[in-house]
Amino acid sequence: MDRMDSTMPAGAPSPTPPRGLRSLHARMLAGLSEAVVVTGRTHPGGEEIVHAANPAAGRLLPGLVVGVGVADAGHDAFTDAVVRARPGFEAEVAGRLLSARAVRLDDDGTVGAVVDALTCWYLTDVTEERRGSASLSRAQARAQFLAEAGRALHGVLNLERTLRTAASLAAGFLAPTVLVMLADGSDTVRWARADAGAPRPHTGEMARADLRAAPRLHEALTGRAPIDPWVGVELTELPVWHERPDGPVLVVPVPGTVVQGVLVLVGADPDAEVLPLGEEYAVRVGTALSAAALYREQAHLGHVLQASLEPPPLPADTSGDLLVGSAYRPARESLRVGGDFYEVLPRTAAGRTPFLLGDVCGKGIEAAVLSGRVRQSLHALRLVEQDPATLLRLLNVALLDAADLDAAGSSVTMPRFATMVLGDAQARPDGGSRLRLATGGHPPPYVLRADGRVEEVDVIGSLVGALRDAEVGATEVLLAPGDTCLLYTDGVTEARGGPTGRDFYDEERLEAALAGCVGAPPQVICERVLQLLSEWLGGRDHDDVALLALQAAPRRTREAP
Amino acid sequence: MTAPGTAAVAPATLRAEYLDRLGASDEQGAIDVALGAVDAGLDVEAVLLDVVAEAQREVGERWAAGAWSVVQEHIATHISERVVSAVARHRPAGPSSGVGRIAVACLDGEWHALPARLLAEVLTRHGWDVTFLGSSVPAAQLAVHLHETGPDVVAVSSSLPSRLPAARRMVEACRASGIPILAGGAAFGPCGEWATAVGADGWAPDARAAAALLEGPLPRADAGRVDDASREEQALLHTRRPELVAGLAARVRAGAGPDDQLADDLGHLVDFLAAAVYVDDPGLLARFLRWVGTVAVPGGLTREELRGAVDDLTERLADSPRTVALLRSEPVQEACSGTGAA
Repeated sequence: MDRMDSTMPAGAPSPTPPRGLRSLHARMLAGLSEAVVVTGRTHPGGEEIVHAANPAAGRLLPGLVVGVGVADAGHDAFTDAVVRARPGFEAEVAGRLLSARAVRLDDDGTVGAVVDALTCWYLTDVTEERRGSASLSRAQARAQFLAEAGRALHGVLNLERTLRTAASLAAGFLAPTVLVMLADGSDTVRWARADAGAPRPHTGEMARADLRAAPRLHEALTGRAPIDPWVGVELTELPVWHERPDGPVLVVPVPGTVVQGVLVLVGADPDAEVLPLGEEYAVRVGTALSAAALYREQAHLGHVLQASLEPPPLPADTSGDLLVGSAYRPARESLRVGGDFYEVLPRTAAGRTPFLLGDVCGKGIEAAVLSGRVRQSLHALRLVEQDPATLLRLLNVALLDAADLDAAGSSVTMPRFATMVLGDAQARPDGGSRLRLATGGHPPPYVLRADGRVEEVDVIGSLVGALRDAEVGATEVLLAPGDTCLLYTDGVTEARGGPTGRDFYDEERLEAALAGCVGAPPQVICERVLQLLSEWLGGRDHDDVALLALQAAPRRTREAP
Repeated sequence: MTAPGTAAVAPATLRAEYLDRLGASDEQGAIDVALGAVDAGLDVEAVLLDVVAEAQREVGERWAAGAWSVVQEHIATHISERVVSAVARHRPAGPSSGVGRIAVACLDGEWHALPARLLAEVLTRHGWDVTFLGSSVPAAQLAVHLHETGPDVVAVSSSLPSRLPAARRMVEACRASGIPILAGGAAFGPCGEWATAVGADGWAPDARAAAALLEGPLPRADAGRVDDASREEQALLHTRRPELVAGLAARVRAGAGPDDQLADDLGHLVDFLAAAVYVDDPGLLARFLRWVGTVAVPGGLTREELRGAVDDLTERLADSPRTVALLRSEPVQEACSGTGAA
């Protein structure tokens, strides 16, 4: 304020309104780019007239004439501010955005009492400045949009969902209606369309062959050619719209290493310079779609492998003399496969039900691959041999031979040893079941008698796949009706947990848990043991855990209800 | 009993009959009751929810009251699972009607799969394309599934409030993929208050309510009110669990040898405390404390030992302000001293 006051005419206000400023001060004011206008009333209550104005005022407020009424210039915003004695204003005047402030000139209180006080107005053209900050906040909004879009797209690795997200994020921001089309090298083109305000995006797919009517779009979706201006017209003919678009159609390529696509913006504000932002957005969409497409391929690969390595479902038919149950918890849980394996095969023509439970030394996918090899080898060997002990000896040799082959070629170190119990069950004429068991290096199974006694089956043998002349343990177990044989892996007994977090679950607790399961079907026994084990673990890491229970069907005295 | 046309279709009668079969561990008998009801014209959803689910609730109450052993409860649950499969095979649901795709899972550490299984079956009959992920689903496995199949909604189920910290990881997995998550079951509080605490987008007490809620879009909830302090103190409790349990056992039963049953119960006490700290609600712990001792388990924690246990925890956890405040709170103090409470 002080700075400006020093430029003011020294004598103002004067008793008679000056016709102009001719002093040194006036010449100083003439050089200012800020407009300076002095206004005041001719007499108390009279009209506001212009007492002085510098050249800049003439430019910003054309039509302003010194000695004439302020209102005569016709700038309503200015007139209004003067008449109402406002401290300032910001308004559009003659096409420019002006920012003005007023300074009353009667501050010193000397001669100003004769007439109404004069007011000096300082006006600046802020049109460019305001436009600049508007474009700055627009730039901020765009940066924020891209950041948020990046975040939202980043979290999704599912292709369909990424597509839907890509369409709905942009709808309402880039354009009222947004369509994303995607070609992933297959025969199908997927699309997702989002309309601002609609709760969910629409999705669909069409055969690539159906794009014959839209050759330019077809070309754009190969990612080889730049987008042809006519693609927009072709697009409006496709059956992907709620109603045929009538606004402007902008087509932006969605670049990607694995997939190609187009981002279509319908009805975008033509002044909003949507295209550069759309291109930026399309890059992010392309990256996200490519990542999702890659993930899908990998996941499919993993899925197929996993499905072949997961323990197969137990035979559904439990109505026979043998009931079976199982439980399985691999160590790396997102993988869902591990080094423990088990299976129960359908009853053979000879009336025997073969079963198997084992543990490959190692964890994760490598262990799972070896467990798959064990199961497949056994499937093949069973075609020529049924005796469990002989089978296990043959398997031992087969694994040793395969390991030698591995060592010659593969860069991945594969585990090569396993422990297991394998055998078969045959119904006895008096009810109950006879089990033939062969084991190599595996914890001995338990038998839970129908009366609650728990017995350890005394059978051991040496590690499978380690030595050519491995020792195979073989025995037979007779199950009376209601007796259960439990096979388990050392992940059960060697689970560390409990009150201290360091104790093994150990055989004693397993026996106690088993004793508490009298009368339960085999599936319940396995689940119960697994549950007790999980409580013991209390969320700590653990090795693979597998349980397989074989029960001779209890003698049911089905009372007629 | 299953002669067509003569079977009673009143759910209450069927339920009594069904419970009777569960009590006798009679799988075939239980299946006959359920299929008989379907054949007699009772709606499949009613058979699943008003007969099977309600009977299981009764089983749970019998177990909680000590009338049934854990193994009996397990056998009953196993039979009911077989019944659900039998009903689904007997009267298959129609194809999905494009309502949407949903993944149904139990919280990590929740082994009671039946409520979630029933929800899956009910939603299938409401036209949903349902993937049932089974019991105790680790958050990592859920995340993999979300990436692979991209469902529209995820529903998680749990009956144990002590599993709430695990719910948080599942909520985060869903949030990262932008998929809304619906919580169900008693774990989330009597009125679902802990569902919002962990950031779930909705809560339903049972399968029917869940199906109704899923008719419309789930309103997106905020990120939940579990803050860093809660998270830190809960994580600390989890880490110190073994030490706390050992200390508690020595305090409440000085001189006695190690007892797995007592250790189990004290472990649950610490878990419930951790969950209460996690959602910052003393009511969660108070409910557990009131329940302790209502079942007479040989060697288990008794009501008389609660006071000593809570005092011991308060002393040992002096460095965790929120935990201490919770242990000293009125509801908790009342619950562990309230011998006068009926």
